[in-house]
Amino acid sequence: METLQLFKILPEKIYFQNIPYLPGFRKMVGWNLDFSTLTRNIHDSLFSFFSPGLASAAEMVIIGLCFLTFFALLGLILVYAERKVCAFFQLRLGPMRVGFWGTAQTFADFIKLLLKEPLTTKNADKFLFNLAPFIVIVASFMAVAAIPFAKGLHAVDLDIGIFFITAVSSIGVVSILLAGWSSNNKYSLIGAIRSGAQILSYEISAGLALLTIIILTGSLQLSEIIESQRTGWWIFKGHIPAIIAFVIYMIAGTAETNRGPFDIAEAESELTAGFHTEYSGIKFAFFFLAEFVNMFIVSAIAATVFFGGWMPFHIGNFTFFNHLMDFIPSVVWFFGKVSLIVFLMMWFRWTFPRLRIDQLLTLEWKYLMPISLVNFLFMAFISLEGWYF
Amino acid sequence: MVMSSENLVIYFISGIVLVGAGILVSHFFAPSSENLQKSETFECGIPTRGTSWFQFKVGYYLFAILFLIFEVEVVFLFPWAVVMKESGTSAFIEIFIFLFILGGGLLYAWKKNALRWE
Amino acid sequence: MNQVVFYFLSAVILVFSLLTVTSSRILRAAVYLLFVLIATAGIYFLLGYNFLAGVQLTLYAGGIIVLIIFAIMLTGSAGEKLERPSLNKFLLAILISLIGTVTSLILFFAYHSFPVIGNEIPATVKMVGASLINPGDNGYVLPFELISVLLLAAIVGAIVIAKKATR
Repeated sequence: METLQLFKILPEKIYFQNIPYLPGFRKMVGWNLDFSTLTRNIHDSLFSFFSPGLASAAEMVIIGLCFLTFFALLGLILVYAERKVCAFFQLRLGPMRVGFWGTAQTFADFIKLLLKEPLTTKNADKFLFNLAPFIVIVASFMAVAAIPFAKGLHAVDLDIGIFFITAVSSIGVVSILLAGWSSNNKYSLIGAIRSGAQILSYEISAGLALLTIIILTGSLQLSEIIESQRTGWWIFKGHIPAIIAFVIYMIAGTAETNRGPFDIAEAESELTAGFHTEYSGIKFAFFFLAEFVNMFIVSAIAATVFFGGWMPFHIGNFTFFNHLMDFIPSVVWFFGKVSLIVFLMMWFRWTFPRLRIDQLLTLEWKYLMPISLVNFLFMAFISLEGWYF
Repeated sequence: MVMSSENLVIYFISGIVLVGAGILVSHFFAPSSENLQKSETFECGIPTRGTSWFQFKVGYYLFAILFLIFEVEVVFLFPWAVVMKESGTSAFIEIFIFLFILGGGLLYAWKKNALRWE
Repeated sequence: MNQVVFYFLSAVILVFSLLTVTSSRILRAAVYLLFVLIATAGIYFLLGYNFLAGVQLTLYAGGIIVLIIFAIMLTGSAGEKLERPSLNKFLLAILISLIGTVTSLILFFAYHSFPVIGNEIPATVKMVGASLINPGDNGYVLPFELISVLLLAAIVGAIVIAKKATR
């Protein structure tokens, strides 16, 4: 603890308190690893140098840079995790040679992708061909700004938090359609149209599943959703409809990111990599990265809305237990929950066989949407009667 | 860090600029040598026949229209869900009517086999 | 900074609207329209009306543009260049646009002052929701229910037309 105190800007306040049920003992209540003092320091120092307008612009650029490096790191870690998880499910070891236990594998892959020649085919529409990976990364970039990573580490806290993330995820569909069409390749076009229809359909169920919890929360703002879970996570407090909503959201979320058993659009055995067949080099890297970042965003939203985001596991007003849980910093809680849900999505991919496009669309329109509508009404009824914790 | 929504637009512009800079930088690193073989469309080794832009099933367009209609419904549900808890029974009855009518629409689409083809 | 962002967004809207109507490739025109709609959402964000900006992004940028792109791809001739209008039509279009612009500007400047109103009424999602389900005066519950009927009519209409087309 003393070494951390050397960093004057890091907030390391340890709370001490006389807890009555432990007579005579002063016990640590918890680490207040609250990032808001760190960010407030940066904010104040920026505003003291520049004029207000320029300072906020500089702040946003710094945040943008941080998020882009976060994307790169996330891509590296998640691709390595995917390959290891896939290998362990298939009873083999995965990448082992490059680096210690294969950890430098994705780094090497990334450098290789950067150095590859960015080809464009002869009759492709060059403007749209180059624009498509751009849009897909920018859409993920906007979505990740609204996610609360820890207490105080929340870039843009809009009062339409959840709605905003749903909205910018819809823009990603356009980029897939453009990519498939502008490649001037039949495989790409088929893959892109199918993927577009799939993502559009599952967006409705995902939105309805999130709305089911918003009824209980009473606010779209992500920080308020997390605050309302101080007495327990919504998946436990909102018993049956919340669990159904979580299942629906996980299915819809995996379908939205073109992953798991819903990857007909990029199925290697069927469509030779689908809508990104003709891409190489950094543009392919962008599509690849965007898929993993979207997986992270879907998991982060599931963790925030259903499992409390950075809020530790509290049980009602059981203060002793709650104080115990507060020991673990909120960043660890958030990334732990997100890692578990990402693992769940990877588990889906390597367990279930692929769905055909018509099975996929039937699943959504004839099963998931009626179930989510009925579940939504059920939750509204429960909220009316007050039958939740 | 609570930012106002104006900064969101600045963030968006900075995102575009940074990603664009990334693409430009990579263009310096990557080799570039076009030849006729490499620029051909990929079709597992055989040369392509016919144009690549073809007319596809109307079914996909129908799914897009249905998506748009249900998305409008979901957009209306968002503000409703926010005020549900403090509004009581009248809100519940109103949304029941709203969803009932739209559920009827879904049922109609189902019965007319609009949801069938891929 | 607010001003700079506003001028930038307005420039984007103007430039890309012009490109949309004068582009010769129809899919590029759809993409330029996407940019115009995203910039409009940006202007709503600047006004502080976050909910409407979200609606604009969800429905317009994420729904209608996708619908337009699907429709363009459905025609099968999406890759061909549109023919350029003749010089007469082009000049006529410019003349009519100029007449419209001048008329609008005259009407605007007929007001001698432009009072700047601050954002005194915050338009939060709670207020929108409360007025949607309010059955009294200033309530919009009847239009809310009628919208569901309108959407039902849209579903029925789309299916009838599509079924007739496939036969």
